[in-house]
Amino acid sequence: MNAESSVIEKQREQTKASANQSQHQAAAEARLDRRELDEERDRRELERTWADGRGLWAWLTSTNHKTIATRYIITAFVFFLLGGIEAMLMRVQLARAENSFLSADLYNQIFTVHGTTMMFLFAVPIMEGMGLYLVPLMVGTRNVAFPRMNAYGYFTYLFGGLLLYGGFLLHTGPDTGWFSYVPLAGPAFSPGKRVDVWAQMITFTEIAALVGAIEIIATVFKQRAPGMSLNRIPLFVWSQVVTAFMIIFAMPAVMLASGFLAMDRLVDTHIFNPGEGGDAILYQHMFWFFGHPEVYIIFIPALGFVSTIVSTFARRKVFGYTAMVLSLIATAFLGFGLWVHHMFATPLPQLGQSLFTGASMMIAIPSGIQIFCWIATLWGGKVRLKTPLIFVLGFFAIFTLGGLTGVMLASVPLDLQVHDTYFVVAHFHYVLIGGAVFPLFGAFYYWFPKWTGRMLSERAGRWNFWLMFVGFNFVFFPMHELGLKGMTRRVYTYLPEMGWGDLNLLASIGAGILAIGVVVFLANVFWARRAGEVAGDDPWHSPTLEWATSSPPADYNFVHLPTVQGGYALWEKTVDAPVVVGLKTDCREVLATNVLDAEPDHKYQLPGPSIWPLMLALATAVAFVIGIFTPWAFPVAAALAFASLAGWFFSNPNSDNRRVKMTKPRPLAGHAQAQASEGQA
Amino acid sequence: MRRERDHLRSWRGLTHARSTWRAACVLIMPFALTLLDACSGAQQSVLDPAGPQAVRTDKLWWLFFYVCAFVFVFVMIALFLALRRASLWRDETASARGVTELPMLRPAPEKERRTTNVIVGATCVTVVILFIFLVASYSVGRSLSTRMEQNNKVTIEITGHQWWWQVRYTDSNPQNIFETANEIHIPVGVPVTVELKSQDVIHSFWVPNLAGKKDLIPGKTSILWLRADHPGTYRGQCAEYCGMQHAHMALYVVAEPREQFDAWLAHQRAPASQPTDDSQRRGQQVFLSSPCIMCHTITGTTAGAHVGPDLTHLSSRSTIAAATLPNTRGHLAGWVVDSQGVKPGNQMPPNNLSSEDLMALLDYLQSLK
Amino acid sequence: MSERNVLDVSALPYHSFESDAVWWGNVGLLAIETTMFGITVATYFYLRQNYQLWPPPLTSAPNPFASLPALTVPTINMALLIVSCAPMIMVDRAARRGQRGTARVGLVICLVLGVAAIALRWFEFPAVKFRWDSNAYGSIVWFTLGMHMTHLITLTLETLLLTIWIFIRDFDMKHRVDITTVAIYWYWVVAIWLPLYAIIYLSVRF
Repeated sequence: MNAESSVIEKQREQTKASANQSQHQAAAEARLDRRELDEERDRRELERTWADGRGLWAWLTSTNHKTIATRYIITAFVFFLLGGIEAMLMRVQLARAENSFLSADLYNQIFTVHGTTMMFLFAVPIMEGMGLYLVPLMVGTRNVAFPRMNAYGYFTYLFGGLLLYGGFLLHTGPDTGWFSYVPLAGPAFSPGKRVDVWAQMITFTEIAALVGAIEIIATVFKQRAPGMSLNRIPLFVWSQVVTAFMIIFAMPAVMLASGFLAMDRLVDTHIFNPGEGGDAILYQHMFWFFGHPEVYIIFIPALGFVSTIVSTFARRKVFGYTAMVLSLIATAFLGFGLWVHHMFATPLPQLGQSLFTGASMMIAIPSGIQIFCWIATLWGGKVRLKTPLIFVLGFFAIFTLGGLTGVMLASVPLDLQVHDTYFVVAHFHYVLIGGAVFPLFGAFYYWFPKWTGRMLSERAGRWNFWLMFVGFNFVFFPMHELGLKGMTRRVYTYLPEMGWGDLNLLASIGAGILAIGVVVFLANVFWARRAGEVAGDDPWHSPTLEWATSSPPADYNFVHLPTVQGGYALWEKTVDAPVVVGLKTDCREVLATNVLDAEPDHKYQLPGPSIWPLMLALATAVAFVIGIFTPWAFPVAAALAFASLAGWFFSNPNSDNRRVKMTKPRPLAGHAQAQASEGQA
Repeated sequence: MRRERDHLRSWRGLTHARSTWRAACVLIMPFALTLLDACSGAQQSVLDPAGPQAVRTDKLWWLFFYVCAFVFVFVMIALFLALRRASLWRDETASARGVTELPMLRPAPEKERRTTNVIVGATCVTVVILFIFLVASYSVGRSLSTRMEQNNKVTIEITGHQWWWQVRYTDSNPQNIFETANEIHIPVGVPVTVELKSQDVIHSFWVPNLAGKKDLIPGKTSILWLRADHPGTYRGQCAEYCGMQHAHMALYVVAEPREQFDAWLAHQRAPASQPTDDSQRRGQQVFLSSPCIMCHTITGTTAGAHVGPDLTHLSSRSTIAAATLPNTRGHLAGWVVDSQGVKPGNQMPPNNLSSEDLMALLDYLQSLK
Repeated sequence: MSERNVLDVSALPYHSFESDAVWWGNVGLLAIETTMFGITVATYFYLRQNYQLWPPPLTSAPNPFASLPALTVPTINMALLIVSCAPMIMVDRAARRGQRGTARVGLVICLVLGVAAIALRWFEFPAVKFRWDSNAYGSIVWFTLGMHMTHLITLTLETLLLTIWIFIRDFDMKHRVDITTVAIYWYWVVAIWLPLYAIIYLSVRF
């Protein structure tokens, strides 16, 4: 009792001290207290306030971050499966020399759609989806800062994906590679609408990514639970914040590149046309200024998964929190300084090349530090070998190998030999599948109980892991050798005398094993949804706040917003840690805290369900889908967008709830007691 | 002793295979099979260098390979030891002992300090390795780009097309300039300057056994130099995706002793041989009266277009269709009649020729030594 | 029901001028837009390397100076944009102090100036001697002008919505914060134009 009250005393002093400095009047501050809380009543009220309702309309208008994020994750996973099917088709085609399973034209579409899908429709959105689901829970708030924008982001992403696959099914799939170099992708060499589909799809998905990034930044900076100062932010949340910043500075480059490309094709501008003073290399600079950070945009959230899983299953804090955070930030910075290593084969000055070699090698340092820290964490921990951790161990093996081949690619002479060969294909699949997909599957196993309330099968999990791990190495390890033997990328077939047949066959067999692994995962998910062991709130005894609420979390996330006493919130929770009271429960009110120390600062109300995000997304779709055929789509879309935004602007936040109640706010839970205890104090 | 056993059991739990040994075999298989395959040869290979640039790059590769392999093994061992060192928590034993709470571990500060030292040390080693890599790769890179003795006389201009290579041997004497396609001859031991251009999209010139690749960019000229130290035929391939038939855009570099090369040069400079028999004469007529002349050149005749490969010495080349098919009568016939069937999407239209005309045309084309 | 420690936030104010989430959202947006313009400028200079004369000479007029973009309308427009910051500052302050009348007047002035700037921008396009499809120079300059014009239009429409709101609805805390955010956006749109103006119109003259 004594210890408790001293903690409270201390916090009270802190709050006071900060209040003195802030400009708020003395009355407008958060106060520590002891109260009796009517949990049940609050819960009932919150349930009514935060419910999205049922039916189609509710589906179209939902602004709940968990609903939106679940859609992101499921949609992105469907695209992952589609991209995987495309990969299988390619592996069948390449299994032997001069195979005629796919025509050149179809193969080229398939590899383009595969790359585009995996990068733009799977990897980035699924990482953002994970962030949008988990970040508000991990920082202890009720929803993201701009719920309607969030819904808008999802719809644009969905429309972008539908555009790509619509085009593909109509035999108008892009066929110029996932980076669509000009002049091949320009109007002269790619007539028809194929590349336009690609360029506009990019714009869609980039809008979604940018929107998601702003959500994450505003949510983390403004809506953290009281006490979660910067040095107590979970590493996963840090990784999401760093990613969000990278998105903000990287994505505009590709939006411009794809925009210029679309303009060159649709309205005859000459930005990339060498015949009229334009420049083909410029496109490469713009694309890779985005393209390289893109890899880290995919990979850094995965580092967040790894840190979370390692610390949970080693039962200790991640070794070197500060080093980890700084490594993330350093990776993000360096990630912008090495785009030219994708262009070593173009005529560039030597000195510039060496600089980029240096930067490309330097990025191995923060990655190395993180790997060392994780190993140290395991070393000093009490390890539980559950499926999430096993996927992370797989990540260590695969990613380390991929990182090392990455160092090889940073060297100009080596790169000139293996650039655009299967060596590079092997390298980036090691980095992206090893670095992102394995942690992602670990994350699925780890958070599935939180999402659904049921555990995935551990046994199936082992099968899933080993099939994927072995299959993966069968597919991609031989590709290193193929690259050194001169097999170039993006070839739909090869001559028998090239001597590439055996390894290609091996890779194709491996692809089958890998695919079976994914099928096991799907089966596991479908089984666990019905029959999985019931998880309870916190099956892994985890440190972060999402485990402090029910599984699956209620619409409002927490009955009472928590306060945080340490970097590992649930592990370092003090006895009887205070919870936040005084937020209205009859409207969607959230608490805003300040950026550095997460002290309570002000409150605001978030909007409820709204149809306008969908309307705005439809207006965007008019612009970019119809814009493929006529530039007049843009003024029309602008008018539609303005109408939607006006509707958005004038539709009152919480209007639906207000209609029901809002007559007079009921007294806060235990307000009377509060005053009584105040008097005693 | 007891702890030891716990570990073993949990490792078995990790694999869920009947024996760890069998699992290890499966694990190692992709690596073993790949390395096994490395022993068999290939048509074009980075690791079978025949020129000074490829040799230096090859050496650099092996430096990187061994160091990286060492680092990989080191990290894996560290990870393995970390897992063995860490006390393993297993739910069954824990609940049997009545332990359900899982407290957060708070490692002793002095232990943490030791770990910090190890990590700082490992990071320093990383930095040193990277620095060595940087210096090695910089010095190799410089030696690759500085051209060798400047007294070389052979300059080849290569222009990339969808999907073939136009080759032009330049000379100060305009009489000596000639064109060929998809097959380059170079003298052994002599550095050759290659000027790379593109007429349409970006291509990349890559002959792995001789040197690294260089892009052909429309509107720009890139320079590459090559030297073959051993006589032989080296295959190269376009390495930058350039459209539908990117897969079939290859070429051969034939390195031969100086005298042979000079003879070849003299032969190529000469105009096409005139038809010597009736069939060849008829074939020439077929050629000159058909759409062939819209795209191809045969010096000494009225055919002088530059859309497709120069055919002046077609039969001196060992392949057709950008090193896709061997240059035999059968393949040539197939190509003339239905090139779209062989290499879909290429620019050559199908030709409807009567069988006599076709035979005559083939006779003529095959006489173009 | 048992007693427990709580942190009572009921006394906290609604919204804040210093660091509202909207402020962060807006700053994020501006960071994106600034990057966008930064890359546009980089593109401009990259393309410029391909030219001996920038802008390229007109085929119709041999005098190389004939192809320079005209200065009058763009300069007037820039002056107008700079001037428009004054009423915006007024609105900004009024929103913070809660002076509804001043905010209304200021917003209307801003709207008028915004529309005027858009109208003038319309005449800046012909001031550039090339069309967007003449050459790379024309393309990038038209694009830059168009991008900035899009921002002007967006900004003016946003201001219009806010103006309507405070005329027919409340002058509530949320929308006062919105006004201060729009003000930041407005300053940014003007500020970003200064270097762009200098690059498009002045840098070609030296």
